[in-house]
Amino acid sequence: MTLAAVDVNDDLLDDEIVQNPSPYYAMLREQHPCYWNERWRGWVLSRYEDVYAAMHSPKFLADRITPWYETRLTAQERERYKTTYEALHSFVVFTDPPDHTRLRRIFGRAFTPKAVQTMKAITEEMVHLHLDQWEPGKTVDLNADLAYPLPANVISTIIGARREDLDRLQHWAEAITTLLLAGVGDDTRLDRAQAALVEFKAYLKVLYDERIDKPQNDMMSWLMEVQRSDPLLTEDDVLHSCIILLNAGHETTQTLICNTLTTLLELPDELNFLRENPQSMKTAMEEGLRFNGPLKGTIRLAGEDMQLHGKTMRKGDRVLLLMGAANRDPAKFQEPERFIPTRDPNPHLSFSHGIHFCLGAPLARMEAEMVFNEMLRRFPKMEVKNPIRWEPRILGRSIAAPIHIELG
Amino acid sequence: MAERKLIEIRIDGNLCVGSGMCVSAYPDKFAFQPDGHARYVATVLDEAAAHEAEELCPVSAISLVYAGETS
Repeated sequence: MTLAAVDVNDDLLDDEIVQNPSPYYAMLREQHPCYWNERWRGWVLSRYEDVYAAMHSPKFLADRITPWYETRLTAQERERYKTTYEALHSFVVFTDPPDHTRLRRIFGRAFTPKAVQTMKAITEEMVHLHLDQWEPGKTVDLNADLAYPLPANVISTIIGARREDLDRLQHWAEAITTLLLAGVGDDTRLDRAQAALVEFKAYLKVLYDERIDKPQNDMMSWLMEVQRSDPLLTEDDVLHSCIILLNAGHETTQTLICNTLTTLLELPDELNFLRENPQSMKTAMEEGLRFNGPLKGTIRLAGEDMQLHGKTMRKGDRVLLLMGAANRDPAKFQEPERFIPTRDPNPHLSFSHGIHFCLGAPLARMEAEMVFNEMLRRFPKMEVKNPIRWEPRILGRSIAAPIHIELG
Repeated sequence: MAERKLIEIRIDGNLCVGSGMCVSAYPDKFAFQPDGHARYVATVLDEAAAHEAEELCPVSAISLVYAGETS
């Protein structure tokens, strides 16, 4: 009996792995750095240098939508879900150059550190709006009372949506996120996502038209400004980009807040240090991203046959890049299993790397830093009241709701 | 104000994530290195391009160094 055959658990949703992925990641890194997971039907890369190289390599493709659309759907289904395909295919996260280069230009002005400064005011108002309702002695649900609504409201407001429409936007975003993170599943999921996309786009089109003659100081107007000066960009590109912004800015930031705060609440010394040194919150937040980032992995397709660690990946094979494992690779990070709030530099891969590096990173960083500093300032004592259970997901790393926190 | 002379377009290797915003905006001036980071490769320093790239960079890795400034 060979060790390899029995040693590796192919069930990425096994509760033991989901609750504490570290030992599994270490085993993959050490013994199976390029591993074919039969159950997931794809390759798994776990070493920092391999994940990093794949993120920077044009041989690993981000468009996993087109093969799905072209090979997994019948002609009839392709017709029916054309709208969904067209929208997803213009999401910058699912495109490769040259489409990616064209689409990415739209965001050129959207997330510059300067633009983020103007988002600061919106975020500040929203953070206060939420935290003003909290007081010592109260038990709150970190997720439902803050982490979920805050980033959603911030990004919707930044895009230019009216406050009374925020609920509708969240409903659409959820239908699309379910499709993206959980997979196709059944037809109802696709139908729901498509219906949401159609309604969402119609809603955004109204905002778009309003801004043709009267630009505002919001994301929609910034994107339109870029579109006006770039003949290759279309109105659809702008509308679809707003949709991806809303989705991307939503659940990942929510998870970042929950994961990092709960991690910190288990480390009283580090928490005290940060309370006394709010300027260190920047590095602590990066460490939160490294330690328990919102995404464990991201998917690519092999663009050609490739050899790695004695294995052959075939063109078209799925490849799971495990940022969660790379972020704890001792070959890259000293004491990778320790949360060190002052770690610097911290070249984690949680925002991805290369041309798909998260453009919303400056916004996420600013939001999280502001939330944590404000919470530590207001509440000298916080305690998690229910056990932390990580949700069984292949790509996402998130805590099952609710997350009750007693404020003191 | 005295004219300032640009002497270097610097990219911080600890910050650069290879997002390629500078490379796609100015493909003749910025290029990816084998390690995935971007570098200014044109022989002449183009201040306007460097300024725009500095603004576009999502991680603020690009900085303009002027004569007489210490860093």
